[in-house]
This record gives sequence, structure tokens and C-alpha cells, in this order.
Amino acid sequence: MSVEAREKRQPWILLSPALGAVTMLLLVPLIFIVVYSFWLRSATGPDVVGFHLDNWESTLTDPFYRFILFNTLKIAAITTVICALLGYPAAYFITRSSGNKMLLLLLLMLPFWISYIIRTMSWINILGSSGAVNTFLMSIGLISSPIQMLYNEVTVILGLVHFLLPFMVLNIYVSLDGIDTNLEDAATSLGATRWQSFLQVTLPLSLPGLAAGGLLCFVLGAGTYITPLVLGGPQDAMFANLVFEAIITQLNWPLGSALSMALLLVLGSLVAIYNRFLGMSQLTKGLG
Amino acid sequence: MDNTKRYERLLERYRNGDLDRRRFLGLLGAAGLAYGVQTPFARMALAQEVQQVRFDGWGGVVSEAFRRYAFDPYTEETGITVVDGTFSGGDEYLAQVRSSQEGEYNIAHLSGVFDYARYVNFELDVELNIDNIPNMSLVMDALTNAFRSITPDHLSAVPYNYGTTGLAYNRAHISDEEIREKGASILIDPAYEGKIGGWSDWRTRLWYAALQTDQSPNDIQDMDAAWDAIRSHRDLALKYWGSGAELMSLLAEEEIYVTEGWSGRIAALQEQGHDIGYYDPPNSFGWQECLFVIKGSPVEACEELLNFMLEPETSIAVAEGQNYPPALDGTKVDLGDKIPTLPAYDPSGTLEALTFADPEYWNGNEAEWSETFSRVQRGF
Amino acid sequence: MGWAAIRTYTILVYLFMFLPVAVVVLLSFNQNQFGSFPMTGLSLRWFEALWNNEAVMRAFRTSVVLGLLTALISTTLGVLASLALVRYSVPGKNLITTILIAPILVPEVVLAVALLLFLNWLGIGKSFALLLAGHVIFTLPFVILVVQARLVGIRRDVEEAALSLGASPVQTFFSITLPLLMPAVAAGGLFAFTISFDDITGTLFWKPGGVETVPTQIFSMLRNSISPEINALGTVMIVMTVGLPLLGAAIARSMALKRGA
Repeated sequence: MSVEAREKRQPWILLSPALGAVTMLLLVPLIFIVVYSFWLRSATGPDVVGFHLDNWESTLTDPFYRFILFNTLKIAAITTVICALLGYPAAYFITRSSGNKMLLLLLLMLPFWISYIIRTMSWINILGSSGAVNTFLMSIGLISSPIQMLYNEVTVILGLVHFLLPFMVLNIYVSLDGIDTNLEDAATSLGATRWQSFLQVTLPLSLPGLAAGGLLCFVLGAGTYITPLVLGGPQDAMFANLVFEAIITQLNWPLGSALSMALLLVLGSLVAIYNRFLGMSQLTKGLG
Repeated sequence: MDNTKRYERLLERYRNGDLDRRRFLGLLGAAGLAYGVQTPFARMALAQEVQQVRFDGWGGVVSEAFRRYAFDPYTEETGITVVDGTFSGGDEYLAQVRSSQEGEYNIAHLSGVFDYARYVNFELDVELNIDNIPNMSLVMDALTNAFRSITPDHLSAVPYNYGTTGLAYNRAHISDEEIREKGASILIDPAYEGKIGGWSDWRTRLWYAALQTDQSPNDIQDMDAAWDAIRSHRDLALKYWGSGAELMSLLAEEEIYVTEGWSGRIAALQEQGHDIGYYDPPNSFGWQECLFVIKGSPVEACEELLNFMLEPETSIAVAEGQNYPPALDGTKVDLGDKIPTLPAYDPSGTLEALTFADPEYWNGNEAEWSETFSRVQRGF
Repeated sequence: MGWAAIRTYTILVYLFMFLPVAVVVLLSFNQNQFGSFPMTGLSLRWFEALWNNEAVMRAFRTSVVLGLLTALISTTLGVLASLALVRYSVPGKNLITTILIAPILVPEVVLAVALLLFLNWLGIGKSFALLLAGHVIFTLPFVILVVQARLVGIRRDVEEAALSLGASPVQTFFSITLPLLMPAVAAGGLFAFTISFDDITGTLFWKPGGVETVPTQIFSMLRNSISPEINALGTVMIVMTVGLPLLGAAIARSMALKRGA
């Protein structure tokens, strides 16, 4: 075998285990649940193989699913906006700060390393009836018995913001960091105020980072079921909770397949639109 | 060693007083060591000799009573470890069992005859050899007959205890007179908005909705009215609780003043000194629990454990620990001083005073009602 | 708007981010038997309780074993793939990259459902094998992204020198490339371990009954009520997932310094 041929084959040998794994453990299973969503659940015994539109019919026409889907998208959107409002100034500060580089890096990365479930449950210690806020309010005599602050839509959004904010900060940081500070200085020297130069130079240039952060927050937020389970009441279910319930509690796998495909289609089309206009590289930049 | 012999030896030590309750307490630590050795995935070892039996129950004080008075002494004598797991609802547990491999789950503390019927419908039952469980003769016939009506030719479970889901209330805020006057409707009384609780179980919710709308729980005519009652309760409730431990902590910490509750857990709260009242309204939700052996389990080892657990000494100790009356017939066995004082206790041995869920009625409507409830729960 | 205002704002944002977690750590040392405010004193009793809690220890062992195996497999696959992508000109590189990072583009719930149903159909039900497969596929993209970023920085000329001096490609790999690659491998492995150790979304779908990992154990304990033991377990988890990367970074730095000297 010639050196050249070997050179050509080598990367494929190196790639094949990873590609094989992704194919067998993700791509084929995804196709499989498309097929599965056309099967039927039987009350006893195994699911009925075949081509039935029942699951899709209820997924698409049942107002209950639309109600929950709308609620899910609403919660994800609010979360994303709050993350952007909180995250942008913080990322801007980190980029432009002249302080200790190590500390700033830590501020960027540390939140990622703190476990999701811990961050979520930590709010129970803060807002619960014997949590920090209630204890404080009671000790200064403002209230006489604990007020109920947990287990509603607000705490679900709070928990999601707390979970997703680091993604936003990191992505905005990456794009702000790539902007030449001289541009802003040039604008200022041409007579613009700092605020004007920020609005007209820096902000537009950092939009790709904001978009990448926004997409991540939205998609991750809309796909969660743990946060509503821990911090929400029964009314605060999101779409992924329905998937979890269909698959794990009700063992209705055909319906669960249809519901998860629906979720994938909705969120996937967002990713696709994003990809069409901005490309994937901005997203992976933040993760790398 | 022959199973029967092993059992007899244990019984002897037990009767001689070699194994008293304090000793059981000491065994708690030993059991920790014993099952620490087993790794989470050592299930394959089951194939040859039975080394462990998995038991799933309701957690909290109930699990503690089982472990202390039944499992530890059993392990001490037979060398068979009892690994115990907990679940917070029967539906969720059944789903887990159905999606598991055979033999993964062995014995379950199931609630009600309807639950027994569901497991039988999914062909998850086994055929127990009652000759290996001589203590079955001490059990109330009324309890056993209920299971026999589902499986006339065999039994896959032994009755173990019974109780009710009645009204639990904080006596500092709600008087005994008020609860008797309002009955189940107190759970939809706007006066207690934000201080009401309830179990997130569709059966219990619907049962109480029937009582609130003056219908028979085993024959609800006006379903819409019942669902509306559930909606009112949902909007007034602080939250649904998901486990007995949560029920107890909500009441103990005065986060809620009134909820329906499991008789044994409320008795446990009273024992701890909390001023919580318990009242069974007319047609209160009664249930009889069984120890169900699931298909694929080492049946002989399970029979041995079940017989051991039905032994009056064990049964009474467990009952006093978990605060639910045992399945043993009070007319055949001396149940001691405490058990007759437990809520829901029936001295007649017939249990005619309690209303149970009709298995056919509830299982027949399960698919539709559980689905509707999951929507109502979401504010739909 | 002044710089000082932005600074204050940032500090507040980070307080929001870290304060609740700090409260978890603080309360885990609480002596009070309900583990809530007000604190009555410092004590290690809840860590002791954890140590004696068999269910928690079992979950801990499961998580560590699962995390290590995940890191091993995922890093091996990821390093090989990254080598191919960085070192060779492969046709369709963009498509391949997109496929390899697809597991994080798909919502994890969907990935969890797909994998569960497909492997179950193949006869692998909820089991440790399924759990491991899930964790590998979910961590792989992160490993590839991290390793690729590090790999780009490694210069090829040293390897080429070795090759031109007559070393075989295999010799070159083990004596030159791999040592140079070690920081990237370590970073990838660490990443995979912590992500696996932390995962709950997929794990709840894949785990067999009775098997818990640390996050699912916390989750099921939360169903009863928040207890000081949960806070203690949370503290242990924070030490595991924050401490390890920090330690890794410190080691990498000192190695880099040594090499530089």
C-alpha cells in the first residue's frame, strides 16, 4: 500500500469509532423513534407494530399539548431575555476589566462546574418556608409566619435563569473578546459618546455571541423537565415533563416517541434557522 | 441448608427470647455492613443461590419498621439480604416493574385489591405454595378472600395490613366539631386556601371528589362534578404531597392545616407529640395492603420471608412500628395493647366497617381517569 | 452609565449565581437538627450521616464507576476523532463535525428517549450498559470540542522530526505525540467525568430500578423534603465537580511551567 493511500485511510480509521458510536447511539435511534411513533400502545402485552396515525393525531390536534407547548416556549423565552439582560453587562465587564485574569476566567468557567441539580435545589434553602429569606423576614419581625414563595412559575424561571446564565455570559464574552477595542475608541474620538459608540459599534458586533447564547438558553430551557419537577408546582409542567411521564410513568412509548419528535422538530427548526443565518461555528466557539 | 429447618431454628431463637427487640436495634448496624458488600449490579449472582431478596415499600417510618422488626432478624438468621427500595405511588412503581427485567423486583408492599388485580392482569404474578406459609391460617379470611376473588386458583400475595385514607387536621386551627360537620368538603373550603394539602394520586383525588359531591366512590355518576371538585381542591391546595414522609413534614411544620392522610402516618405524627387529629368521614377510603411476590422472583425464599413476616411476634412489632393494624385475625391472635388503639382497627375480624375500592370499577376506568387527572393537575 | 455601575451590576449578578450555592455549603455544616436557619453551630454530623447512609454511599460508588468508564471510553473515541479532524484534511469535515457534535444539538430528553427505546428494542433494557452508552454519547461532543481546541496548539514539526529520524509512526505516536497530547487527553477526560457525574436528565430515563447515581439520589431525597443531609451531599458534589477541574488546571499549569523551564 502506498504512503498516500495510507494517509488517506488513516483519518477514517481514527474517526470510525466516534462516528460509529454517534450513528448507532443517536442517529439510528432517532430514526427508530420516528418509526415507533407510528406504532400503537396496547393496554396489556407489547406495543402494536404498524402504521397508525393516532399518536401524531393527538400530538398535533389535542389542545392540551398545544397549551403545554405554548407554556414551555413562553417560559424559555422569558428565561432567555432575563439571561441576556443579566449576562450582557457581566460579560462586558469581564472583557473590558483590567483585573486579575485568573479570577476572571474562574468567574467565566466556575458556574459550569457546579452541578445542575445542586444549583436547582439550592433555591429551596433560600426561598423555602424555613429558608434564608423567610427566616430573615421573621427575625426582623416583618412577617409572623413564613410566606410561600416556592413551587410556582416564577421559581421555575428563576431556577432556569440560574442554570443557563453561564451559557449566556460565556457566549457573549467570546464574541466581545474578539472585538478590537480600538473601534470603540475610534468612534469616541470621532465625537460619539461612550454610550453611542457602544450602541453603534460594540453591540452590533457582539450580536452573534448574543444570538448563540440566546439559542443555547432557549433550547436548553425548553428541553428541561428537572427544574419544573424540583421548583415548580403541578401546574408548571413543561413539554419535556409530558415526554418523561409518557415514557417512564405511563409506559406509553409510541405516544412518548411522537411527543419527543414534536419537541425535536420545534427546537430543531430553531437551531436550523440559526444555522442558516449564523452557522454552527459561533456555537462551538463558546463550548470549546 | 434446608429452608424449613432454617426457619424453625430462627423461630426457636425468637420464642426463647434470644432475639429481643433491643437486639433487633443492634442488628441495624450489622445489616448496613451486610448489604454494603453487595454492589448495585450484582443481580446476576441471583441465578445460583438466593443471596438477596428485593423488597419495595412506602418508605419513611413504614420502611424503618419493616427493616427493624422483620428484615434484619430475617437476614441474621438466613443469610439472605433484604434490599429495600421505596416508591411514592403504585402507578409509578408498576411502570418500573413492567419496564424492568424479570427478577429485578421481588416483593412489593402493594395497596389494595385493585393493585393486586393489575399485577395479575399484566401476568406479573406467581403461584405461592401456601403450605410453606403456615401463618396464613392466622390471617383474617375477609382479607384473603378479596385476593382469592381475583385469582381463585392461587395466591400471589399474602395480606399484611390495612388502613384508611381519612382526614388529617391541625387541631390548633380546626376543631373536632368542625371536621365532623364539614367532612370531606373541608378540603374544598375556601376558608383554608393555601393551607390545604392532598396526595398527587388520581385515585385518592377522585375518591375524595366523590365524597365531596355526595356520590358513592365506587359508582360515580356525575364525573364532571367530580372533576370540578378536583379542580377546586387543586386551586385551594398549597401543593400535592408525593410521599408519606412529605405528608408528615407538611403537617408537622404547619405548612398545611388539613389534608387527607394515611392513618398510620397520622398516628405516627400523634405519637411524636403533634396535635394532629384524624377523622374517617363516611365512606372513607379503606385499603388492605399485601406483600406481593413478583414473577421471576426466588419464590421459596420469598415464601420463607412472608411466613416470617406473618409470625405474630414480627407482625405485631411491625404493626406497632408502622401504626397500621396487621392482617392477623384479632379473634385468633392476641394483638397486645397498642394495636386495638390504632386508627382503622377492626376488632371483629370482618372489616365490614371499611369501604374498599372496587377493583373492577377502578381498574376498568384507570386509563381514562389517570390521563384526565394528569391534565387537570396541570391546570387544564 | 459609568464603569462603576457596570462593576456593581456584575458583582450582583455573580452574587446571584454563587450565593445560593454558598448557602448549601454553609448549611451542610449546620448543627441544627433540621438543617435550616437559624444556624446554631458548626458540625460535621451530616457528613458523618452521609458516610453511614448506605443508599448514598452506593449511589456515590455507582457515580464514580460510571464517570470513570464514561471518561475512559469517551476520551478514547474523542481523541482519535479529534486527531483525524485536526491532523488530516478530511473531505466533508464540516458535516462530520456537525454529526459528531449532534448529541448536544438534540435536546437531551429526546436523546434519552431515542436511546432507551432503540436499545430496549435490541434487547438491552434499562441497565448499567444503557446508562454507560448514554453517558458516552452525551459527553463525546464535549470531549471532541475540548480536545480539538487543545490539539490545534500542538506543533507538528517535533513529530515530523522524529519520523524523519527513522522512528516508526507507532513509536512516534507513543513517544512524541501522546505525551504532547496528555494535557488535552486529561482535559477531555476530566470534562467527560464531571459531565457524567452531574447528569440527571438522561440518567433518570436510563437507570434500572434501584440503581441511583448521586444526582438521582439527591433528586429522590428532595421528594421528601430538603434535609441537611442533602446539603452535605451537595457540598460533596461541589467539591467533586469544582475541585477536580481546579486541581486539573493546577497540575496542567505546573506541568507547563516545568516544561517551559
